[in-house]
Amino acid sequence: MTFLQPFVLLGLPLVLVPVIIHLLNRLRHRPKPWAAMRFLLSATRSATSHAKLRQFLILLCRVLAVAMLLLFLARPLAGGWLGWALSPAPDAIVLLLDRSASMETQTGGSTKREQALKLLAQAARQYEETSHIILIDSATRIPQEIAKADSLAQLSLTRPTDTAADLPAMLRAAFDWLVENRAGTAEIWIASDDQRSNWWPDDPRWKSVVAQLGGLSQKVRIRLLELNQTTEANASIEIKELARRPRGVQGELQVVLDIQRNRATAATVPVVLTLDGQRSETEAALEGESYRWRRKIDLGARREGGWGGFSLPSDANLRDNTAWFVYGADIALRATVVSAEREVARDLQLAAASHKAEPAQVIPAAEITNAGLDDCSLLIWQAPLPEGADADRLQSFASEGGVVIFFPPGQAGPRQFAGMGWGEPQNAEAQEGFRILRWNEDEGPLAKSDEHLSLPLAQTTFARRQAIVGPKNVLAAFEDGAAFLARQNIGKGEVYFCASLPQADWSSLGEGPVLVPMLQRLLLAGGRRLQQASFAACGELSSLDLARQWVSVDSTRQKDIRFEAGVYRSGDRLLAVNRPLAEDEPDVMDSDEARKLFVGLPVQTLEERKFDVGQLQGEVWRVFVFAMLLFLIGEGILILPARRTAPRPVRGAPSPPRREEQPA
Amino acid sequence: MAESGAWLDSQVLNRLMHLTLMARSPMEGSVSGLHKSPHRGSSVEFAEYRNYVPGDDIRRLDWRVFARTDRFFLKEYEAETNLRCYFVLDASGSMRFGQSPGGKLSYAKRLIATLAYITAHQGDASGLICAMAKSALEIPPRRNPAHLKVLFEALDKTEARGETGLITALHDLAERVRRRALVVVVSDFFCDLEPLLNCFQHLRFQKHDLAIFHLLDRAELDFQFDRPVRFVDLESSLSIVTEPSSIRDEYLRQFHLFLEHLRGGCHEFGVDYRQVVTDQDYERILADFLIERAHLVATSP
Repeated sequence: MTFLQPFVLLGLPLVLVPVIIHLLNRLRHRPKPWAAMRFLLSATRSATSHAKLRQFLILLCRVLAVAMLLLFLARPLAGGWLGWALSPAPDAIVLLLDRSASMETQTGGSTKREQALKLLAQAARQYEETSHIILIDSATRIPQEIAKADSLAQLSLTRPTDTAADLPAMLRAAFDWLVENRAGTAEIWIASDDQRSNWWPDDPRWKSVVAQLGGLSQKVRIRLLELNQTTEANASIEIKELARRPRGVQGELQVVLDIQRNRATAATVPVVLTLDGQRSETEAALEGESYRWRRKIDLGARREGGWGGFSLPSDANLRDNTAWFVYGADIALRATVVSAEREVARDLQLAAASHKAEPAQVIPAAEITNAGLDDCSLLIWQAPLPEGADADRLQSFASEGGVVIFFPPGQAGPRQFAGMGWGEPQNAEAQEGFRILRWNEDEGPLAKSDEHLSLPLAQTTFARRQAIVGPKNVLAAFEDGAAFLARQNIGKGEVYFCASLPQADWSSLGEGPVLVPMLQRLLLAGGRRLQQASFAACGELSSLDLARQWVSVDSTRQKDIRFEAGVYRSGDRLLAVNRPLAEDEPDVMDSDEARKLFVGLPVQTLEERKFDVGQLQGEVWRVFVFAMLLFLIGEGILILPARRTAPRPVRGAPSPPRREEQPA
Repeated sequence: MAESGAWLDSQVLNRLMHLTLMARSPMEGSVSGLHKSPHRGSSVEFAEYRNYVPGDDIRRLDWRVFARTDRFFLKEYEAETNLRCYFVLDASGSMRFGQSPGGKLSYAKRLIATLAYITAHQGDASGLICAMAKSALEIPPRRNPAHLKVLFEALDKTEARGETGLITALHDLAERVRRRALVVVVSDFFCDLEPLLNCFQHLRFQKHDLAIFHLLDRAELDFQFDRPVRFVDLESSLSIVTEPSSIRDEYLRQFHLFLEHLRGGCHEFGVDYRQVVTDQDYERILADFLIERAHLVATSP
């Protein structure tokens, strides 16, 4: 037997209080001269055994009543059949409801969330009178006690959202509630579609929270309501990239859309574009389950920013059919070149010029600390790798969404940035120099052009290169495997290392066909830094954003920015709120995989009724209250005077005189 | 110590003086008096006729009967003599107990003093025996009213202490006093019941009229205590600590059993038994005692 409040057991010596009071009472006797001693002695002899037994029973009752009171206050838990028999209903049932967008997938005429609510209400109904029912939803993770199981479907906390779920965090919230409220036996019912991106099965938080649940005095049971059935045809859309770029005197939006489907058949689907409230429709020819769709949206002469969205036709899940975006005003993106070599700096400066033909700013490395990078989107560094405050400045720049590209300084050094560094320079031995045959043409600065033309990287000659050391993501490599262009992500930004220089003794990069598009693409990518505040994932808004007043722009209906995707305005600022990207990932876990996460805890599906009783512990305080009352009643009966109120009259014995008859 | 006669209350005496202490059976006195004698003699009270037998005094022949019947009959009259009364006071330590001042002993002295006064006033002799642990103070009965002073002084000096010597005193009394007498015993009778009843039987066997006043205190009858008490024996150094509530039932059972046996023994041996609780008015106790006795004598053949 274990106890929820074991420190109360420190008061167990209090059970001796009745004995001490009894002994003190006996010590407080008063002397009384007595004549009829023979009867007293005889009565004492005769009544001793019976009286002693009675006295002992009274004391025993009092001691046990105090002991039962203390045990009751300590909230005992009994295991095995005893605990199960005495506490068949859990003290608390914590419902973990997945309200993520993926739960709105329809199967059999209703969404998974609606099915979950229905099943949870049915299962919880029988425990309404005996158990506390606590709801923790994935969107707020705030525990709320439910009085009536049937009211689950009507609660605002169970409505659909465009958020993602974080199962380990929800389990942590359940654990915190159990600890704070000192709940007894508890069951945690989890209703989810087992989406892997929501469960985070590889997250280290699982081990800690499951271990903590297993370490509770009261054993916790887990019940899973798995809704990972195969669904009907469904497609989701999300905006992968969005950039505003100039096209002559006009502007256009370059959008990269990812469309995920659960059917691999080729199909042409209509896609509705809403741009600043104007709707237009186009068709997308889809192939395979995952399709990347590039679109250019003509903005005309529009200079200011705006908003829009892409929508797919209705399918199994209505909440993943729309992706919202906000684009900024037409501003010139600016690059900064850090180089001490004039020729190199000039080439880079020109290659990274803005669309308004403004060449990039060139500064020496020593001035980077004081350089104004607020309106800069690309930083080109051709100097020994920075250290100290300079390195921190670059780190901060990249973390905020900026792009940094390093070109070889020409000398090897021990310094590193983003885990990468420069090795020894190498000169090509062959006449034709180093060659690049393969590179990533799908995405990144070396991707194919809009016309699906490859960059002439294979025709570029490299006579000299400098090795890129450290862990890296290689986008382009030489024939011998050495990296030409490597990338690392830092925060919201990217860091690139390019192994050669646009100088004649290094390579033919300076000719431009590769260097210019590469740097222009990086300039555009770095522009995210200036536009990043315009996008947010639903349910992941910062506290600063949440503190503002937001009005829905895309709908006349009042929407809650915390739970619903859309475009919102607060003052002059527009914000596009979309489902978290992970919410569109179709990967779900199977039942066994989900159960393995709860190692050490009894896990059953909601439909299964019987647990292995040996593993369970029930709170049995009611037994001790009952026992305490029983002992108190017993004590009361034992101390009752037996026919004391009317002593047996002595035959012939006169009654006490009335007051007026008493002698003077 | 109280003065002589301090146990008397003049107002009580005035109210009781019209009553007489009568013996239930014939007494053998030395002088004529109010009480029947077992002997026939000259008196104004006709008793019976009986046949003449040689040797009888011919002066007691009833000649008128002889003239009518030609047979000799003697006319006999009731002899009336005085009463000799022994008051036996139990002076054991237990008589000190009581909620009233002086305890049961004072109550007993008041009873005895009043009865002795009435006895002397009606011309009968009264004596006193104070039964103590090892000895007994005895004052022989006298008719002289001045004898009351001696008796009262003896009552004054008597203190309750030690074990009871009542049984010895009563047996001694039964052995020594051959002539019929009224023996009045005032005690709580906290002694062995069988020897006590033997005493009563002994006295009755000697033709004594025996009346006993059984003095009890209300606390002894009710035994109402709510806390542990150390009871100290008044006749010895014995003491016990007990929880009265735990033994009360058994105590009362045994006490009442004793009272029933005592009353039954008294009834068996013709002893005039009166249970007296010390919170009762002693005047009423004595009045009832005297009236009942007078009524009994008056209605007896």
